[in-house]
Amino acid sequence: MIGGLVAPSVGSIAIDGRPVEGVPPNVGYVFQRDTVFPWRTVRRNIALGLEYRGVRGPEQQRRVAAAISMAGLDGFEDAFPATLSGGMRQRVSLVRTLVVEPEILLMDEPFGALDLHTKLELHAELLRLWGEKRQTVVFITHDLSEAITLADRIIVMTRRPGRIKMIYDVKLTRPRDVIRLREADEYLRAYGEIWHVLGEEFAREKAP
Amino acid sequence: MRSRGSVLFWQLFILIVLLASWEWLTGIKAISKTPGLYWIDPFFISRPSIIARRFAYLLSDKVRLNLWQMTLSTVQSTLWGFVVGVSTGFLAGLVLGRNDRLARIFEPFIVAFNSLPRIALVPLITMIFGFGLVAKIVLAWTIVFFIVFFNTFQGARSVEADLIHSARFLGASERQIMRTVIVPSALAWTFASLTPSISFALIGVVVGEFLGGESGGGLGYLIIQSLGTLNAADMMVALLTLGLIGIVMAFGIKQVERRLLRWRPEYRKSA
Repeated sequence: MIGGLVAPSVGSIAIDGRPVEGVPPNVGYVFQRDTVFPWRTVRRNIALGLEYRGVRGPEQQRRVAAAISMAGLDGFEDAFPATLSGGMRQRVSLVRTLVVEPEILLMDEPFGALDLHTKLELHAELLRLWGEKRQTVVFITHDLSEAITLADRIIVMTRRPGRIKMIYDVKLTRPRDVIRLREADEYLRAYGEIWHVLGEEFAREKAP
Repeated sequence: MRSRGSVLFWQLFILIVLLASWEWLTGIKAISKTPGLYWIDPFFISRPSIIARRFAYLLSDKVRLNLWQMTLSTVQSTLWGFVVGVSTGFLAGLVLGRNDRLARIFEPFIVAFNSLPRIALVPLITMIFGFGLVAKIVLAWTIVFFIVFFNTFQGARSVEADLIHSARFLGASERQIMRTVIVPSALAWTFASLTPSISFALIGVVVGEFLGGESGGGLGYLIIQSLGTLNAADMMVALLTLGLIGIVMAFGIKQVERRLLRWRPEYRKSA
């Protein structure tokens, strides 16, 4: 709804006071499945957003090059996505979105299909990138650890119909270390508390 | 590479055995000393040695319309039919593939026209366009168009919605989405139809030449002319040349395909 793909059945959505009609220009979206264009090389995938906005020539080259090294994809500029691993493709998706510097970043389980190791790497990267630009990020996940690692505020939704079940403010300090953070007291407390609520929801689901 | 060498060896071996037995079998007389009676009559299937002689003769300038000119005429019409058919088929496929309303409106017309046997159109096309190059191109077009159209249509419809959404979020206009998402995505499907398209274009052209007479020229004309003079050797020359044309054209398309679709994993190694 924030992305303007679906209209709300009741009420309205506004970004900075402006109602959302269609896809807003300042919103970036990273999909669950990587959506890199298989017929474009890494470089040209990342250039897409700039191309669409008419940013060309040396300016485009400079920003794409910066994005590539930011994503740690040096040496893969001219590779086609079919030759990359899932983690690398998702990384291309991510920086391709970031290169146009959206003010709001929507992420729909972007790391859901990745193994834990790759996931942690991307968490660290996302935290670092966020640290530079500090956009608003709306991140959907089924992974509680991921939510606590990344978020300032966690909103727990119920099953269908999706309602807000709980709002939890994560008090972990930034910058965060994706590994060490898991041993922090606040992490454990948040995990326990939210887990409990999720358990309730699960039990309610089972009961008639 | 050992295996490739041995494959080539066996291919050559089989070819030589075939040609040699063809030459030999058509030389055995049924009743000794009686001329003109053979176990396998070269009158119908000719002989490699005769075909080779006719080949050289037809290539020379001793004939009014030599093999080069006929080949050129056939190739020219085929390529034109192919290019016109592919480009119109591709455009129509894209437009209808992305517009449900138009697709629903045009569907019965397209299905009806496509289920018409194209050979049945030859006399009508000849009546309208005469015996020349244009008639042959039109005939090839009526076949190629539909092959390419249906493939591109399917391709344009099956573009992943997520790719279109993500382009939109990156700021693409509708035209940019068409150019950067739908066209490249549909192209992969279109390419799958190009190899059959070129063969069908060739079929269309040859059938057109059957009827086209000398003004249309071409190898189809040579075949029909040979039928008139009951000359199997000349027919074989025409068939052989057509086969060669087909192979060369299919090979050319494969090369273009390999280049344009090099992002696909199945082309990666060979690229």
